[in-house]
Amino acid sequence: MRIDPFALRKPAALLGLALVAIHLVLALFSPWIAPFDPTELVGGRVDPPGGEFLLGTDALGRDYLSRLLHGGRMALFVTFTGVVAAVTAGSLAGIAAAWFGGTLDDVLMRLCDVKLALPGILFVSLFITGFGESFGVLVTLIGLVYFPGVIRIVRAQALTQVNLGYVKAAQLRGESAFSIIAREILPNTLDVVYVEFAIRMSHAVLLLSTMSYLGLGLSPPTPDWGLMVSEGVGQLAFAPWLVLFPAVFISTLVIGLNFGAEALAGALGLDASRGHVGGT
Amino acid sequence: MNRREMIAAVGAALAGLAAPEALAQPKPKRGGKFVYTNLYPNNRMGDAKNGRHPYHLLDINTRSAFNGLAFVNDRLQVEPELATAWTPSADLKAWDIQLREGVVFHNGRDMTADDVIASFAFHQARTSFARQIAKVEKTGTHKVRMHLAKPNSEFPFILGEYQLMIMPAAPLETIGLDGIGTGPFRIVDLDPKRRLVMERNERYWRKGLPHVDRLEVASSPGRMESALNGFRGGQFDAVLGVDPGILPELDRIPGTVVSTALSGDQALMILPKHEGSVFADKRIRQALALAIDREKIVRIVYGTKTGWVGNDSHLTPSNPEFLPVTFKRDVAKAKRLLAEAGHPNGITLPTFYFTASWPEVPRVFQVLAQSVKEAGITLPIEQRPSDGYRDWRVEDKARTRKHRFAYGPAGVRNPGVSLYRMRPDNNESGYWSGAACEKYMKLYDEAVVEPDPVKRKFLYVQMQQILADEVPAIHPAGRRNMLIHKSNVHGLENHSQFWSIRFDEVWKA
Amino acid sequence: MARAFLRRLALSLGVVWLVTVLVFVSTEILPGDALQVSLTADEAAQMTEDDFARRRAELGLDRPAPARYAGWLLAAAKGDFGTTIIGKADVTEVIAYPLRNSVLLCLVTALVAIPAALAIGIAAAYWRGRAPDFAASSGAILGYSIPEFASGNFLILCFAIWVPVFPAVITAFTKDPPSVLLGAAFLPVLTVVIGSIAHLVRLVRAGFIEALNSDYVERARLAGASRLRIILRHALPASVIPALNSAALYVAGLLSGIIVVEKVFGYPGLGLVLINAVEKREVAVVQAVSLIAAVIVVAMNLLADAAVMALDPRARSR
Repeated sequence: MRIDPFALRKPAALLGLALVAIHLVLALFSPWIAPFDPTELVGGRVDPPGGEFLLGTDALGRDYLSRLLHGGRMALFVTFTGVVAAVTAGSLAGIAAAWFGGTLDDVLMRLCDVKLALPGILFVSLFITGFGESFGVLVTLIGLVYFPGVIRIVRAQALTQVNLGYVKAAQLRGESAFSIIAREILPNTLDVVYVEFAIRMSHAVLLLSTMSYLGLGLSPPTPDWGLMVSEGVGQLAFAPWLVLFPAVFISTLVIGLNFGAEALAGALGLDASRGHVGGT
Repeated sequence: MNRREMIAAVGAALAGLAAPEALAQPKPKRGGKFVYTNLYPNNRMGDAKNGRHPYHLLDINTRSAFNGLAFVNDRLQVEPELATAWTPSADLKAWDIQLREGVVFHNGRDMTADDVIASFAFHQARTSFARQIAKVEKTGTHKVRMHLAKPNSEFPFILGEYQLMIMPAAPLETIGLDGIGTGPFRIVDLDPKRRLVMERNERYWRKGLPHVDRLEVASSPGRMESALNGFRGGQFDAVLGVDPGILPELDRIPGTVVSTALSGDQALMILPKHEGSVFADKRIRQALALAIDREKIVRIVYGTKTGWVGNDSHLTPSNPEFLPVTFKRDVAKAKRLLAEAGHPNGITLPTFYFTASWPEVPRVFQVLAQSVKEAGITLPIEQRPSDGYRDWRVEDKARTRKHRFAYGPAGVRNPGVSLYRMRPDNNESGYWSGAACEKYMKLYDEAVVEPDPVKRKFLYVQMQQILADEVPAIHPAGRRNMLIHKSNVHGLENHSQFWSIRFDEVWKA
Repeated sequence: MARAFLRRLALSLGVVWLVTVLVFVSTEILPGDALQVSLTADEAAQMTEDDFARRRAELGLDRPAPARYAGWLLAAAKGDFGTTIIGKADVTEVIAYPLRNSVLLCLVTALVAIPAALAIGIAAAYWRGRAPDFAASSGAILGYSIPEFASGNFLILCFAIWVPVFPAVITAFTKDPPSVLLGAAFLPVLTVVIGSIAHLVRLVRAGFIEALNSDYVERARLAGASRLRIILRHALPASVIPALNSAALYVAGLLSGIIVVEKVFGYPGLGLVLINAVEKREVAVVQAVSLIAAVIVVAMNLLADAAVMALDPRARSR
């Protein structure tokens, strides 16, 4: 991995890294930062921001700031675990496809085609309707959603490596497939994997909050930004902050992850604009 | 206040009553279009082909297009509709029903006993509410006799059920599909899951009604924000089934009138009592019932005006037989009961599953789960998508009759139907059994053959006392159905059975 | 080239078939069936296990799963999608108008988004590293980062409640003519465009930068061609080709991506029909919708491939 420190010093990159860092700190330390327990009914019904409750309270009188701070915890945990699983499994499968080719490659590529051809929302609603909204189900779902896309990208990158001279040379030297993959191909594919991870994360955060909004995601009383929007949207005209605050938290995290991914790609000398921002 | 002041106050109140603007009802204005949106979900919502059928009408307010033999009002009294009188035999097993004469269907045909027989032939085959009817016999052009499988002292309530509408006689396969009824409006156009447009039935049997020329319904199940946006943006004159959570904000929409019914659906917590379930122990059920802060649920979720405290039976304040909760919240006693049951340091219950069949259901259980913490009860809760009703609740694949610890919605009905739902073989009772249950069912059997409503009420009160003591299920709180309309809308009455709202007398100034 | 294309076609058909198998198996794994979820709690409370079994047999739900799948596949191959389980309504009728409406919304969105993305992307590439580039890039990312359920509701608040120029809810009939639907669809289209344009803008920008740096643009510049001519004649076509594939995928993705706007605005599209069908276990509807969606995605991909082959001399020679 060759990092170009100059690319990390661009304003967008700095902003992205800062946003991600802030969100990580908030999510990790929210139990100590948050002024109240996020599920405790401490205040009045929909108190406006200011005063004892800095960002007001929700319809049940729970402190909104505490819920917002805790709201990223579960979302980040679910998306992080799911995306790590997807990227790990996808990378291994992608490298395997590139290395072995043949039937394995064909099968994996058809799998990707099927996933792409399947309407995303159908996938989500079948899964959630069938198996419920527990942590394990959501992680598996996120993993399955992003797994095929990662295979594709990693396979393409690995293929360029497989055909390079030094890999051919290693093959001629009689090195085992495992050692070639581990020593030659994997390190040279990791750059792509890191960027993939950041991009998929930003998408997964949006996906999970949308699922929560549609009633197919995290379950109350878990504090979650998407759920908070769906709970507050009925009062949109009277208490717009109930929707605005969680939306700002989601957006800043997504912006951070995107700029972060771009910065990472720039630093690694990759072309992130060819990537998947906004796509699936 | 002394005596004189009191008389003066009463006088002032009487004067207020006698004031002309209060006494003289404004004269209804004829004509115009009334548009409302309905938030109630319709589980049996129709599809392209049969959306006009009363079983599948977009909005289950079937009485806009159809009529039943009877109508159940908001105080749960049975009123005549297409039947004018009903008389039971001495054993309450045969009911003679006199039909209204001169009633005409939308297609111009007269309504007779043949139509009632054909309609009920369909109902008997297709809905469980009519299953108790063994045979319908024609005893005149406008007279039928219904023979029941078992006696039923409250049979007329069944005649008011929203599915049991009277349709023009036709073979079983096609009856009702054209959407022709005797109701105040006839269907002009229908989009099965979205919108219904109706126009006045000029030959409606309630003379001079309906007042409006057109009735339009937009269905927005569970979409409170868009219903309210449409109301504020002037697209809707009324919203049915308003989320009680926004009541305080409604004052801030100028020209909005709020109307609440006497009661409405309540949340039922099913407590599975199979072997190995914690709820097989009566003390744990009682501890949970005592630990729940019902007043707090009503205060926070319903804001006192739109909710009521449940008494752990299916009955509601609309039922004259309803026995308001006799016990108080008692955290100390709950803890004591838990300790006796072997949980001196508190207990973690299995995960409780619920669905947002009403927008406030998640709030009810979030407050509930918080309130039982004080008694050392940890109650994990999980929301499920609102699909159907059974599968995240019942585990009877191998007919083990296991039941999950889960929520069920319970509508408002007469005690004969509502209290029967706690029978031992119904999963809503969590397969309750034992001596108390047997006593409960014995009282029920007495009630169905008891013609005297006063004596029946006595039996029903005893049954509710058994439920309060045994806690086979928990009904923590219920809603009072809420609708809002613009201030120029008159004659729109709310109803505890949201499916029984009628639009005959609605008019716009 | 024709042979390569035919191979792609055969593979695509295989993918579509796999989708139907996968969807059918998933609906089988789902607990519960159409009968159970069609009943209200009040009504089901009055039924016995025997009642359930009898009704299930009446509806044909007791037939073994492979028989039901085979029957569906044979009929679907002939264009007959069967009937719904509970209502016995023609599935084609149930989904025809929602499908049309979704396609309509997608096309309008694409017609707005693609030219807009081209303009913004080219502007950003042309003034690379300067204010317009910065504005375009951050604007696109900002739009992408706001969840559609939030931006849609705020647009309603601004343009239907505070300044009531557009309807807050679309109450039109599903079968209403396109003009009626589109008349009410301004805010939904705007919501989707804001949320989805980022991807296209970045692709166009990257493609255009690459084109501007290419040899033949350099040659044209040396030959003294005007700036406008360079952009329109040389750089634009070269930058469009790489974006074509993504644009096709973009349109296909919209089809299932507009579910949020359907919910927020009450637009009568296919997404809600699909979710509803899953909830109601109406397997035939789920199957038909996923089959159609798969065919559209696959067809758009093929179309993009064909277009790239036809337009790009390098791909043709390969």
